[in-house]
Parts: sequence; C-alpha cells; structure tokens
Amino acid sequence: MTATAPPVRTRRPFQEGGLLVVILVLGVVLTVFGGSVRVPKLQRTATGEMERVFTTNAAGEKELVFEERNKFLNSQSLAQLAKDTSFIAIMAVGATFVIVSGGIDLSVGAIYALASVLGAMVFRRFGPEGADAASGATGAWLGALTCIGVATLAGFANGGMIVALRVHPFIITLGTMAIFRGVAFVITKGQSIGGFPEGFRSLVRWETASGLSLVPLGVMVLVAIVGGLYLSRLAAGRRIYAIGGNELASRYSGIRVERVKLSVFIFSGLTAGLAALLSLGYYGGATSGDGQGYELNVIAAAVVGGASLSGGRGTALGALLGAFVIQMISTGIVILGIDQNYSQIIIGTVVIVAVLLDQLNAWLAQRGFAARAGRT
Amino acid sequence: MAFLAFTDLTKRFPGVLALDGVSFAVERGSCHALMGENGAGKSTLGKILAGVYTADTGAIQLDGQRIQPANPLAARHLGIAMVHQELAFCPNLTVAENLCLGDFPRRFGFVNRARMRERARAMLAEIEAALDVDTPMSQLSTAQEQMVQIAAALGSGARIIVMDEPTSSLSVAESEHLFTLLAQLRQRGLTVIYVSHRMEEIFRLCDAVTVLRDGRHVATQPISATNHDALIHQMVGREVVALTPRHLEREPGEEVLRVEHLASPGKFEGISFALRRGEVLGFAGLVGAGRSEIAQAIFGLDPRATGRVFVRGKELPLGDVNAALAAGLGLLPEDRKRLGLVLSMNCRENTSLATLPMLTRLGFVRRRAEQALARKYADRLRVKTPSLETGIAGLSGGNQQKVALAKWLARQCGILIVDEPTRGVDVGAKAEIHTLLDELACQGLALLVISSELPEVMNLSRRLLVLRAGRISGDLPRHEFTQPGILRLMAGVAAPPA
Repeated sequence: MTATAPPVRTRRPFQEGGLLVVILVLGVVLTVFGGSVRVPKLQRTATGEMERVFTTNAAGEKELVFEERNKFLNSQSLAQLAKDTSFIAIMAVGATFVIVSGGIDLSVGAIYALASVLGAMVFRRFGPEGADAASGATGAWLGALTCIGVATLAGFANGGMIVALRVHPFIITLGTMAIFRGVAFVITKGQSIGGFPEGFRSLVRWETASGLSLVPLGVMVLVAIVGGLYLSRLAAGRRIYAIGGNELASRYSGIRVERVKLSVFIFSGLTAGLAALLSLGYYGGATSGDGQGYELNVIAAAVVGGASLSGGRGTALGALLGAFVIQMISTGIVILGIDQNYSQIIIGTVVIVAVLLDQLNAWLAQRGFAARAGRT
Repeated sequence: MAFLAFTDLTKRFPGVLALDGVSFAVERGSCHALMGENGAGKSTLGKILAGVYTADTGAIQLDGQRIQPANPLAARHLGIAMVHQELAFCPNLTVAENLCLGDFPRRFGFVNRARMRERARAMLAEIEAALDVDTPMSQLSTAQEQMVQIAAALGSGARIIVMDEPTSSLSVAESEHLFTLLAQLRQRGLTVIYVSHRMEEIFRLCDAVTVLRDGRHVATQPISATNHDALIHQMVGREVVALTPRHLEREPGEEVLRVEHLASPGKFEGISFALRRGEVLGFAGLVGAGRSEIAQAIFGLDPRATGRVFVRGKELPLGDVNAALAAGLGLLPEDRKRLGLVLSMNCRENTSLATLPMLTRLGFVRRRAEQALARKYADRLRVKTPSLETGIAGLSGGNQQKVALAKWLARQCGILIVDEPTRGVDVGAKAEIHTLLDELACQGLALLVISSELPEVMNLSRRLLVLRAGRISGDLPRHEFTQPGILRLMAGVAAPPA
C-alpha cells in the first residue's frame, strides 16, 4: 500500500512478552520441583506478634504443630526474591540507559560501594553512638543525600571524562571501577561501618502485616516506571535511542550528543546510589567490598532484558524482568538443592542463551518481513 | 557449452527486487562487461557470483557444473575471486601478512616471516606490481590495494575475476596500469567480469557486454555488434528527456545565504558565493574536489573551517550545527545510512528526529502531533511503506532517501543542501526526487545541489559552481551549461582555442 491509504495502526509487538513467559516457566518449575518443607505453624496473638502453635497430644504433652509449605510458592520466599531482585533491577534500569545510548558502565558496583560507605559514615555520625545522635531525623536526610549525591557525582565524572577526553566508555569505567572502589577502601581502611539512626532503618525495613518487606520492591517499581516513561515518552529518551542507533546521523540532526551521553551516565550513577541507599537501610552496614561483581549481574540483567550492546535497543521494563530472571535462577539453585558452586556457570550460560534467542527472534522477524514484501 | 552460465537468477532485498530472472552466458577467457544504471543489479550479480550474496532462485553453471557459492571462501575454492573496495584486507597488517592470510608459512607452529615475505614478493611479481611487502595495508593507495587484491586472487588460483567499478577512484595513470594488467590476465586465459558504467573502458577492454536494467536482463552482445548510443539506449530503456524545472520560470527572491572566503585546511579555500530564495545552485566537481566538505563546513560540522557565512544577513558562527539548524539550514548528507538515518528506528521516529523540540510538551513527545507530522510528509513525498511504524532499514533506497528528506522538510528549513540526493536510488524514485526538489524551489526553498552525476546538476540548477581541488574553477549560468565545458573546468583542462 502507499502512504495515501488510510493510516494503519500497527501496534508494536509486546517485546517483553517472551521474558514474562520465561519467568512464569521458571516459577512453575521451581514450584513443582522445589517440593515442600515442614515448618512450624505460626499464628498471630492478640498483641499482634507471631507465635508458634502448639497442640496437646494423647500423652498430654505440648507439641509443635507443623504445616506443609511449598519451598518457592509462599509469600516469604517471594518477598525475599523481590527484595533481592530490587537492588540489581534498579541498577539494571540505569545500565539500560547507558547501553541503549551505545555505551557501557562497568563502574556501577564500585559506585554502589563508594556511595554506601560515604552514606554510612554520615549515618553513623547521627546514629545512636554517633557524635550528633540527637538530631537523628536530619541525619537520615543528610545520609540519604550524601549517598545519592556521591553516586550521581561519580556518574557525572564517568560521563564527563567520556565526553571531554573522547575515550570509549569501556575504558573510562574500567578505570573508575577500580578508582571508586579504591577510594571507598582508603576512606574506610577496609573496616565495615554500621550504627545508623533507627528511624531510617525501620523505614526501609517496614513490613506489612504478614511480614513482607516491600520498600525496596516499591522503589524498584518506581524506578522502572520513571525510567520507562523517560525512555519511551520523553524527547530526551528518544535522543538516547537516536545516538545509540546512529551517533553521526544524530549529530547531523542537531542532537547534542555530548549532553545525552553525560545524562545517561549520571542516571546510571543515580540508580547505583538508590540501590546503595536501600541496602544501607536494609542491612544496616557497609564495607568497601560491597557490590563486588554487581556490574556483571546488572549488565546481564539489562542484556537478558533485551538491551542491545550495539546500542539503540532496550527497555526499562525489560531490564526489570531481566533482573528477575537472573535472581530467580540464583534462588532456584538454592531451592532445587543444586550445588552453589554451579550458580555462576548457570547464570553465565543463561546470559549467552538469552542473547542467542534474541538474535534468533530478530532473524525470524526479518524473514517474516522479507516474506511479506515478497507477497505484495 | 558456455563456460559460465546464469539461469533465471533472482535476488530480492527488503523493498527492492535487485535481480529478476536474469539469464546469460560468459565465454571462457573473455572480458565480459556488465553495464547498467545505478541500481540496475550489476553489482548484485557480481556479488552473487563471488559468494557475497546468495541468489533466492536460479542457477549458476561453471564448466557445466552447477555451483552455489555460499560465501566468498567457497567461491575462492571454485576459482572465483572478486576485486572491490569494500571487502578489503586487514588494514593493520602488512601486505605480506595479508597476502598469506589464509595460509601462513609455518615452522614449528611459528610464522616463518622470511618465507612469508618471499611468497608475497613472488605473488606481486606475477603481476609486475612494485610494492614493499612490509608496508601496512592502511598506507596503500586504492590502486595499490587493488593490485594486492588481484595478486591475492591469482595466488589462490582464480579462473574468474569479478571487478566491481575498479576505476571509480583511480587516477588516469593508475587506470592505464590496470588496463595493461587486465590485458595480460586475459592472455593467460583468465575470465574477467567487468562491472562498470564507463563506456570508454568497456569498448577498450571487453569482448562482450551484458546490459541490465532495473534488475532485468536487457541484452548480451559481442562488443563489436554494438555502439555507444545503442548501449545507452539499452541501459536507459527510453529516450532521455531533459527535465525543464518549473522553478526556472520564477525569478529568485532575496539573498538568503552568503558564503565569504570559506576555507578549511587541506580541504578547500577561497569559497565565496551567494544563494537566493527559490534558487537552485549546483555544485559540480570530481570526487575529492571538496564538494561535500564545503557543505559540511556551512552546516557547522567542520571545526577547522574559517571564513564567514551569513544567513539572511546575520553571521553564522562556524562549527556549530545547532546554530546552523536554528538559522534554518538543513543538510541531506551523501551517505544516508551512515549520516542521514537512524536505521534502528522507524519512519515516524526518523522523520521527527530534527523536530523533537517543536513536538514536546513538558519534555514529553506529543505522539499525536508527531504522528500527524510523519503522516503529512510521508504523503507529500509519496513514501512507500507498509506503515509509519515500519523500520526504516526495511525500505528501499529511494524511500529511505525520501524519509531523510522529510526530516528537513518537517523542520521547515529555508535553505537545504542536498548531497548526492539520488545515489543508490532506483530510476523511478530518482525522477520523483527531482520533481520534488523542483517543487520545493518553486515554493521558495533555497537549494544547494551537489552531485557526481553531471546531468543531474545540469538539469536541476539555475546556476552551477564548478569545483576543482578545493577551489571554485567556474561559475556558470544555465545557458552556458555544456557537458564538455563543465568537464574541462572540473578536470582543469584549458578550453580548446575557439
């Protein structure tokens, strides 16, 4: 047909559908093969606390009541999975920005560590044993600001150097990966830092009535929504796809390529800072060794989620689902009782298979297009 | 029995039927020319023979055997080699290393460098090419690289050599050397498939010629049975009607662009001219005369440019694309896939690429407005696409070029520079683009047309600037356009005494 015919509304195929299927299949496999365990039955007392249920047997002794519970499909382990995923998923959204623009950020793990320890030092000062224990509430704000601010600055440093020195992002972030972690180590002298204001910790560890901690999960969803809207709806997001697809043509179209590059690295740093802040609240401590190897999990999540390392392709929702796939596999290894030592091998394999499937999909789509063109 | 026979060869690319049932035969030991306009399918045919592409349907028979080279290496084993500019060697390795790439002489597993050099020298001596085998490939000229490719082809025992536009970037002396070599190769019984659209070469070198047009076979004939005019007629398929642009009927308006003493070190210097509203100014010149470079400098893409550029009387800062855009300039670049389009995006996104700031509210892209804009220009430029959401990579060259043009029209730019607007575009789309450029000029757009195809600039322009080696060598009004005259200015040859 020609363009003069009435417009055809072609909907983009739901790209993340495949990932949802993978997640469902993984879920079913874990539910079926994970089996169940006998756990003591719990019940809520009048004061709202959980206690074990006892029964009196024929001999008149009190004994614990047990119940069968599926190892995977129960609210505790699902909430645990969501919490574990959220740290990686938040950073994977940031990594997706960078990867869509045609870059790569290897330093997210190190930014996470640096932001963690600097944030932790501020928190400790205002913590119960700190110098300014009195003003805990302001302290919590200051600590959070430090954590996020440091991470954003680190991202700015990455982007600034890449743009100003015209060096490939791989090299710059390979360097800053070592530098940021080194700085974190020097500052802390390798010691772990704890003792934060209780207010802050209880905020992050806030639980629902049934004992699920949903704050990291909520932040993850928020980051995915904001990141997704940014990429798909804002002109600024469109420019990220444009420079990732063809940097020269973008420049020829008046897009300020340097600004866009700077922005994606700042965003990547920002997400590392958010993840770091959540982990501070959740675990209540930080060392310079935190987040070791996160960059690989984060990049893997983005890639499994459909981001193309050659740039121009990827979505925030994909990154989120990709993080779930990776975390489910880690969890699955535990649930299925597979030797822990195999987990790295399995995750590595999954990343490669995911990329292969994606290429297969693209190839099939192209064939489909050729076939359609042949008929007209 | 023919040495090499093509039967009903068909090859389709997304959006284009590149070859459509082509059948002909090539004699052993002949030099067989493949001719046709841009997009006629001659390069595609050569590449299928050399295993770069595979045909969708049809057969190739070599010495009575059916062959189907799946890749260039398989073609090499069948004795078919291709000499072309894209698929060169590893530029970081030396000539000797490249020549022995597939099969390094080894001793105890280590590369025997002395024997490798010796073998490379012997291969080059075969074709009497005087080259230092230790030179890195990247330092060779195009002509020298071609020599190395031919040496490599002979070294691997090629029986058929496919040459794709071998002289397109050679100097006259280099071309002469190549012709001598080709004559020698034929004496040794090699078969040469010579893809070109240069008449003189064909008549000088070849024994037979096959003409393709729009992917179809038109004729195969001995060279003695045809002549210049007959070949052109076969290639074009109709009388060439010179377009008389309608914009010539109107008087151009006020001056919108003035360029004064524009220069860029090593590229061009002393470029001054003015362009008026509704005027079409052509830029003619040989490859390397600085045409595209001047366009880029005006558009703010050359940080080393000096001189002054005024748009509607206001001076434009050089080296700032966004200032040029804000002043209403647009540039349709020469290489649309590399510079003009984002191939991973669809038609809609490519159309709005330069217009995004005008389509946003609070940073959000207004989807309705964007869609309406893309629809409007797709209709106006008659872009043939299944939908606006179709990936740009799937469209034919002509339709891609229309979308690249739509990007600038959407911006409502007042001055448009088009660099090779119809390169790699099929004949029908070419005429459409010409008509369109004429319409735009009628509507008051100031156009700067750069093209290597002399008839194109001669047809479209009101005035023509001829460039030679980075300088303006001629400024001709339309009534002084003659092909020989312009060619002389391009090449720097003095006019014959009147």
